[in-house]
Amino acid sequence: MDLSTAFPTLVTDLPAAFSMSVVGLVGLAMIVLDAFRNDHPAIPWLGVAALGVSAAWEATHLGAPQSTVFFETLRTGGFVAFINLIILLTGLATILLSVPYLNQLRYDYGEVYALIMFSTVGMIMLGSANNMVSIFLGLETMSVCLYVLTGFIREDEGAVESALKYFLLGAFSTGFFLYGIALMYGATGTMALPAMAAAELGTLSTRLLFWGGFALFLVGFFFKVSAAPFHMWTPDVYQGAPTPLTGYMSTATKAAAFAALILVLVHAVPGGEWQLSVAAVAVLTMVIGNVMALAQTNVKRLLAYSSIAHAGYVLVGLSAGTSAGYAGALFYLLVYAVMNIGAFGVMSMLEWDGKEGREQTLSSLAGIANDRPVLGSTMGIFMLSLIGFPPLGGFAGKYFVFAPAVDAGLTWLVVIGVLMSALSAYYYLRVVYVFWMQSADDVEATDPVRAAAFPRATVAATGTLVVCAVALVVLGVFFGGVLETTLGFFESTAMATAP
Amino acid sequence: MAILFAVFSGFVLALASPWLTQYTGRATGWVYGLLPAAITGTLATLVGEVAAGETLRVSYAWVPGLNVNLSFYVDGLSLFFALLITGIGTLIYVYAGGYLKGHHHLGRFFSYLSMFMAAMVGLVLADNLITFYVFFELTSFASFVLIGFNHDEAPSRRAAWQALLVTKAGGLALLVGFILMQQATGTFQISAILESGDLIRQHSFYLPIVLLVLAGAFTKSAQFPFYFWLPNAMEAPTPVSAYLHSATMVKAGIYVMARFHPVLSGTDLWMWVVGGIGALTMLLSAWLALQYTDMKAILAYTTIMALGLLTMLLGLGTEVAVEACMVFILVHAFYKAALFMVAGAIDHEVHVRDITKLGGLWTRMPVTGAAAALAALSMAGIPPFFGFVGKELIYEAATHFDPATVAVTVVSVLANVALVASAGLLVVRPFFGELNDVTKHAHRPDAGLWFGPVVLAVFSVGLGLAPGLLDAAFLGPSAGTVLGASIAPHLALWHGFTLELGLSAVTVAAGVGTYLAWTALRTNTAFQQLERWLGTGLDHGYDNVVDGLLGVGRWQTSVLQSGVLRRYLSTVLGTTIVLVGAAFYHYGFFGGPISVADVRPHEWVLAILSVVGAFGTLFFRSRIGLITSLGVSGFGIALLFLAFGAPDLAKTQFLIETLTVILVVLILTTVSSVEGTLTASQKATNGAVAVGMGVVVSGLILAVLKLPFENPMGDYYAQNTYVEGEGHNIVNTILVDFRALDTLGEITVLLVAGFGIYALLRTGTAPDPNAEHEPPPEDASAPIEQAEQTQQVP
Repeated sequence: MDLSTAFPTLVTDLPAAFSMSVVGLVGLAMIVLDAFRNDHPAIPWLGVAALGVSAAWEATHLGAPQSTVFFETLRTGGFVAFINLIILLTGLATILLSVPYLNQLRYDYGEVYALIMFSTVGMIMLGSANNMVSIFLGLETMSVCLYVLTGFIREDEGAVESALKYFLLGAFSTGFFLYGIALMYGATGTMALPAMAAAELGTLSTRLLFWGGFALFLVGFFFKVSAAPFHMWTPDVYQGAPTPLTGYMSTATKAAAFAALILVLVHAVPGGEWQLSVAAVAVLTMVIGNVMALAQTNVKRLLAYSSIAHAGYVLVGLSAGTSAGYAGALFYLLVYAVMNIGAFGVMSMLEWDGKEGREQTLSSLAGIANDRPVLGSTMGIFMLSLIGFPPLGGFAGKYFVFAPAVDAGLTWLVVIGVLMSALSAYYYLRVVYVFWMQSADDVEATDPVRAAAFPRATVAATGTLVVCAVALVVLGVFFGGVLETTLGFFESTAMATAP
Repeated sequence: MAILFAVFSGFVLALASPWLTQYTGRATGWVYGLLPAAITGTLATLVGEVAAGETLRVSYAWVPGLNVNLSFYVDGLSLFFALLITGIGTLIYVYAGGYLKGHHHLGRFFSYLSMFMAAMVGLVLADNLITFYVFFELTSFASFVLIGFNHDEAPSRRAAWQALLVTKAGGLALLVGFILMQQATGTFQISAILESGDLIRQHSFYLPIVLLVLAGAFTKSAQFPFYFWLPNAMEAPTPVSAYLHSATMVKAGIYVMARFHPVLSGTDLWMWVVGGIGALTMLLSAWLALQYTDMKAILAYTTIMALGLLTMLLGLGTEVAVEACMVFILVHAFYKAALFMVAGAIDHEVHVRDITKLGGLWTRMPVTGAAAALAALSMAGIPPFFGFVGKELIYEAATHFDPATVAVTVVSVLANVALVASAGLLVVRPFFGELNDVTKHAHRPDAGLWFGPVVLAVFSVGLGLAPGLLDAAFLGPSAGTVLGASIAPHLALWHGFTLELGLSAVTVAAGVGTYLAWTALRTNTAFQQLERWLGTGLDHGYDNVVDGLLGVGRWQTSVLQSGVLRRYLSTVLGTTIVLVGAAFYHYGFFGGPISVADVRPHEWVLAILSVVGAFGTLFFRSRIGLITSLGVSGFGIALLFLAFGAPDLAKTQFLIETLTVILVVLILTTVSSVEGTLTASQKATNGAVAVGMGVVVSGLILAVLKLPFENPMGDYYAQNTYVEGEGHNIVNTILVDFRALDTLGEITVLLVAGFGIYALLRTGTAPDPNAEHEPPPEDASAPIEQAEQTQQVP
């Protein structure tokens, strides 16, 4: 190793870390500002500005060629820009939606927004990782912030409980993850993803070490993307966490973690020996997520199970193990982020303090769409898109993760996926049905809807929801360009491993 | 251009109508009706070209990378359906304007209706399986909002939801069928697939393709056993029923079968499944119709009968049968739309639809009555109406069908007998006889309410007198497309004294007889029992299926989502054992034999000490015993590190262990009891998971030991500390030279942490605006205890 070029290389590579630096530094600035002017109202807007600038930067780099920076620890190029764009825009939407929600709860602390920024930094690192250490760093930066965000409404026992559960189980999965990385390192002698694929696994015991380690690694990852049977924390945590942040957790986290998983699958273990395991987990995830969502009465819990089910759909695309499958999964992550951040956003506007904590049951919202038509319409679009109703984005997304799996000979997997989608129509439509078709008189023994106690719908928050809904329609009809872009990331030349 | 206008103008109106309706006022129906009329006119200009055997295509690349295109295709079949949809649509728009006059959600209604019409047109014109599916689902959704338009009534909501769930489930089956079809043929383009019939029929996917496509078609077109949703859907406003169940929604399933007839038919499987289910549906529903007194219920069951008949004809698949199918689609659309509109007009003016309570309306609404009479005569198949032409063709198809001539003929005649009786019930009961208390206050309906029925009645008469008009323009191209061959049909009112004429005469006579015996028939207990099984019975079956699914969901939730952290962990660990165990299974256990000969005695002692300590934590009841055994286990490991010559590691481990023991002591003092409450089986499960995990981890460690040990980093630092870092202390050079940037980062972290602490201190001293919302100070251990107790109910 020649150390004399280290510093110049770091300097030349700095632009590759633009988003990470901007978001991280502004997060620090927010903490500093908060220290001097407690809970300053400008803090969230600082975050919005930083995330917006970074998103614009990433958008201009969608077509960039792929290469690596910082001594092959991070990747740059279209794939990274695409994932970063999802993460940054989701973060942006989360902040806009959080402001009225947290104001209403009187928990509008400045550090909440700083934590969102730091978590975003972790996600960006995760999505651009080219090295197991980068993955671990990103994963932990992201997770530690999320543990805190889950439980920061300290009055709420549910929130505190869910934060503790999340932390304990999360720490556990991190243990698996680290153990897995260590074993894989032991087997291959490298932490860099492409070098892992190139390493010779000569003896029986090296192979055992590598695949045993990879299994542990997958356990850690499946936990983070809440794939069954590692999903159990999800409903409890999603229900307990502040609603806009649940949206953030369910979308950006998933996008980042899946991006890293794709990078590992493509670069470190390109052989596809894992196909059957991933397919099996996909089946479990789709079945458990959808069947358990049927019985839910709490909308946030319902959406939690739905997000488990959707992780299953993404895994279907990954099991295909082809460029089209990965591209479809990326596209799905984008669509999923838009519809889920929207759905949780709507729910955050429709919560109030009931007798037993924050009221989130479906029956308490009977006929709400007639009072709040914008929320009702956007929720309708989100739900229909989550079902995969054409011509919304959800349909296109589902189609482009299922079709490659059929091409890869996994027709049985897709048939299960489609059957489960049919099942999902039941619970998503129930939301639409209750929102639009029932009225408060049809529901017994609930508090009447107390519109006055809802968070105040700011222009920014409502605008975010409308933009999400419109984006779903646009993605559903004009998905061609986006999909072509994601396909381009996985073409053999573009995915070249050397800079 | 014409095609794009036909498909997309409806969506534009759907977006505009909520806003536009405030300007159109009372004339809304007539104004909006101009759009379907214009589409009809535009499409009509294509009739000449299509009749000459040409097909028109428009295609836009949607996802070029995956060969998904937005493409439309006009041939005989699709043009026939498109004209029917927009033509009847025009009349429905006018009618709906009158029926819902002054309704405060009129704009919304027309928005839904336009979306539905556009989706139907898109469906029939689509030339790509995916585009087809997209529009298929859009019709399901649009019908959902239309059926549930009166959403303040619970039955409406239930019906809307039921129709959507049933057709959506079928739609997904259809999608899988389409994907398999693409796998078999390599293309999504419908016009290309239509040319690869032999390929599909001989493909191993043929059976699943047929069954899946039929599942989609049968749910949409209300075939046995899925037809229960259609009578329930009568909760919709009558214009919706008239449109959905005469010419559009339910015909979408027929269209699916007709569209793919050239590639899927021609096998015994197709003939028996499609023909058999169609015949069964036709026979059952024709007679079930006679069990009801609500005009719309009778219309609903006769609609199912018509759909069964059409399905049966497509199953027979002969040239005459397909011609009969196309003619009957038209016949049915004309009379059924007219009769629905009449039923709606009566409902609108009298607010009663029960035929046993109506009577004498002829004097109050003569124009409507005349239109109803003409439509009913066509329905009954009386010459010279168009229905007669249709029925003759059906009988011709039945009597000329080879394998089961008698069965098909008998079933067709029996079903048509009931249809004649239903036609009588729908017109004679409400319009003839004496005015009664219910009907004497009836008003004369608006022009909007009788315009549609009159136009349709005129068509029923006109086409009956001159059916030859249809030969070249519609019947030849459409039936020819379904058959995949060029044909030159010839329709005529009079064929001479044939067997079919005889059957028609028998049908009408028997139908009149059934009509006269209606009351006796309706109160017959055996017949009522049939209705309980096949009418409401299937509906209850649907409820049971939905409840069953919910039950499974609840059961699974209670098993898997117990809220108990311990069980969550067991599941995670158990799965890990399986995953890693699979790697062991695949690659062998340790990668070779293990020798214990060179283990030194004191190492044995330390190892056993750790193991005993670990087991002690499981079995000690007293707190001091627990803490001690935990400490023994930990310090045993630390000593092992020391024994292997790693003093720094051992030092860290000692510190950690000490800290752990102190923390555990602190926690245990706040916990009231350490007695476990686990049952024996829970203990056994936990034990199994623990042993499994132990085995897996030990296996991995033993595998690690088999690897050669290399230490490139240590060698590197040892060699370069003096050369590069100019220092003798390796640790110092690593900190300030080799990893100087890391050190800078650590300093930064410290700085930020300092800021954080400053902020915390400030919050503590300054008056806090949120102070009143702070929780009361609680016992720090409360959340830990409650983690297992106050779980949200899953």
